[in-house]
Amino acid sequence: MNQIISIGTSHHVAPIEFREKLAFSEAQLTESLQHLRESYQIHEAVILSTCNRVEVYAVANAVRTADAAAKMLIEFLSHYHYIGVEPLKKWTYLHHNLETIQHLFRVTASLDSMVVGESQILGQVKAAFGASREAGGAGTVLNRLFTKAFSVGKRIRSETTIATGAVSISYAAVELAKKIFNTLEGKTVAIIGAGEMSELTAKHLVSNGVSNVIVANRTYERAVKVAEKFNGTPVAYDSDLGFLIDADIVITSTNAPDYLIKRQPLVNIMRKRRHRYMFLIDIAVPRDIEPDVSKIDHAFLYNIDDLEAVVASNLKDRQQEATRAEQIVVEEAKRFYDQLQIFQVNPTIKALHQQFREIADTELQACFYKATLSDQQEAAVASMTQAIVKKLLHHPMQNLRCAVNDGNADHGQYVQALQELFALDVNDKETSNQ
Amino acid sequence: MINFLFLVTLLIYLAASIFQTLSLAISNRSEAAIIRPTIERIAFWGTSIGFAFLSLFIPLWWLTQGHFPMTHWTDSTAFFAWAITLIYLIIVRLTHLRTLGSFVMPVAFIAILISYSFATHTAALPEPLQNYWLLAHTTLIFIGYAAFIAAFGFGLMYLIAERKIRKKTDTLLDNLLPSLGISDELGYRCTILGVILLTMGVIVGSLWTQYIRDVPWKWLDAKVISTLMTWLIYVLQIGLRQFWGWHGRRAAYAAIIGFVAVLCTYVGVDLFLDSMHTYR
Repeated sequence: MNQIISIGTSHHVAPIEFREKLAFSEAQLTESLQHLRESYQIHEAVILSTCNRVEVYAVANAVRTADAAAKMLIEFLSHYHYIGVEPLKKWTYLHHNLETIQHLFRVTASLDSMVVGESQILGQVKAAFGASREAGGAGTVLNRLFTKAFSVGKRIRSETTIATGAVSISYAAVELAKKIFNTLEGKTVAIIGAGEMSELTAKHLVSNGVSNVIVANRTYERAVKVAEKFNGTPVAYDSDLGFLIDADIVITSTNAPDYLIKRQPLVNIMRKRRHRYMFLIDIAVPRDIEPDVSKIDHAFLYNIDDLEAVVASNLKDRQQEATRAEQIVVEEAKRFYDQLQIFQVNPTIKALHQQFREIADTELQACFYKATLSDQQEAAVASMTQAIVKKLLHHPMQNLRCAVNDGNADHGQYVQALQELFALDVNDKETSNQ
Repeated sequence: MINFLFLVTLLIYLAASIFQTLSLAISNRSEAAIIRPTIERIAFWGTSIGFAFLSLFIPLWWLTQGHFPMTHWTDSTAFFAWAITLIYLIIVRLTHLRTLGSFVMPVAFIAILISYSFATHTAALPEPLQNYWLLAHTTLIFIGYAAFIAAFGFGLMYLIAERKIRKKTDTLLDNLLPSLGISDELGYRCTILGVILLTMGVIVGSLWTQYIRDVPWKWLDAKVISTLMTWLIYVLQIGLRQFWGWHGRRAAYAAIIGFVAVLCTYVGVDLFLDSMHTYR
């Protein structure tokens, strides 16, 4: 029977020093997948290697227990990366069958991520799966499993709000801007003072449609330098704030000890720009913009604390939503596991039925050949044989299905016993991709 | 039977108004967020079905009265509700902003409620006034009013959204309203549409006076003056926006003032002043 197992490490359980030792580069993937299948009794495998996690998902169908399969994976990692078995056991987690399915669903839905609901992980899992399929690592079982994981991830993203609401300052600023302006197209952002955060925010704004960037700095050379990055216009800073007339979004992040933008000059500017909306983002500490500015009509001021509060409340919301998402994972994983079990015993059931029917048919033909029977008699004999076959198979099949539905681990042994006792030829590609 | 159907229409409008408001009231953070799409759908379909029902009554009354039904509160308010819904559905069709319904559907419901409470009344219309002038004059003005109601809805949405942004907490997730810029822009367009229709309606009305015989007509009619005042409020609003950049919050307040003016013209004049236009 197929054992679905996974071994992995992530930022939850291991420090970076260990994770980087375990990481697989893109170039190593194909080779390691091949090695895994040739040297160990692993039939299917997908390796997911990102900066926060390294995980191997595998299917073994020649081993009797999941533990045996897990042992092989540990051995593989230990040999491949030259890491002792002890640290491996200490810093990794192992999952079997239903647990593996649940874990993959959680990972893909980004419930296991550092920032719950982040969107990168889905792409990373897709890439890992794609790479493995190209290298011939993923077969029927993992194909089904990963396809399902993607759809579960999608379901969770649409039915819960774990993926909504900005969780970084710069994105929060972009979302706020979208709540103010009817469109960001054609808008102008002014950056006063340089800094990583203000540049990042400007970058996000530009990628969301903002078309002009003005960079103001006390030293003009510095302004030119930053403006180059955005293809923007450098301006010399002047205390009249004249350069703000065309600015729809203003980001300040200077080290100035006093307010740069005060209420009265800005009122004049607002009049000159005919009261078009202005969104001011003050990420400087001490603040660059006088708080009273927020009392001006059509001027909206957010400082770093305000933005952090928005982010914090969004994060809290995601955490709450995660509980609902976990329920979906449990429910979907159970359903998938049951389907998979039935899917795995089906070929054996089919083969057994076919064998019985073939024997009955052959014997019927022989009988009809020997004895001359009327049409009516022939029909009666034929239906009797069919009934015998059906009744003979009734109990074994029912018990087998029960064993599967109860989650009874013995059904693997049942299937194997059936195959061996009846010499069934289950070389169906459904159970093995070899 | 007709009365019963009208009651059904009334109830549909009530349900639609409640569901519209509910869809906006459900927080994104609550457990109920998952059923909001369903509520939105029910609200929208309720609105559409209510509109279809209402659309049947107008020709029906037309047939039974023998002229365009615009003589009594029953006809007039029902037509008003119909016009509001029409404008709302057109806006949804063009912009997909269903949230507007939370603000205009209650107005439409109240109009139908008034209509229903007068349901058995009819009033005689002097023979000389029974013609297509009546149809053109009233239809233009009522659809114009409906556009002003929509502008009022956008004004309210603007003010609420602005408040949320200024309050700084819960701004992002719980804010289902369109952005300030969008509410402002669409409110303005509705205002312009309303002014155009109202102007046309008034012009048609004054041309009509040239053809009226046998019915006393005086220019200093209370309704006429009041309508001109309303018209001025809206034209002034457009002018201030064009030449002095009065938009956003000021425009939103202006839309609310305009709404009050429309109510005064429509309801107030009839109740307190004597006018040629009075509904009986």
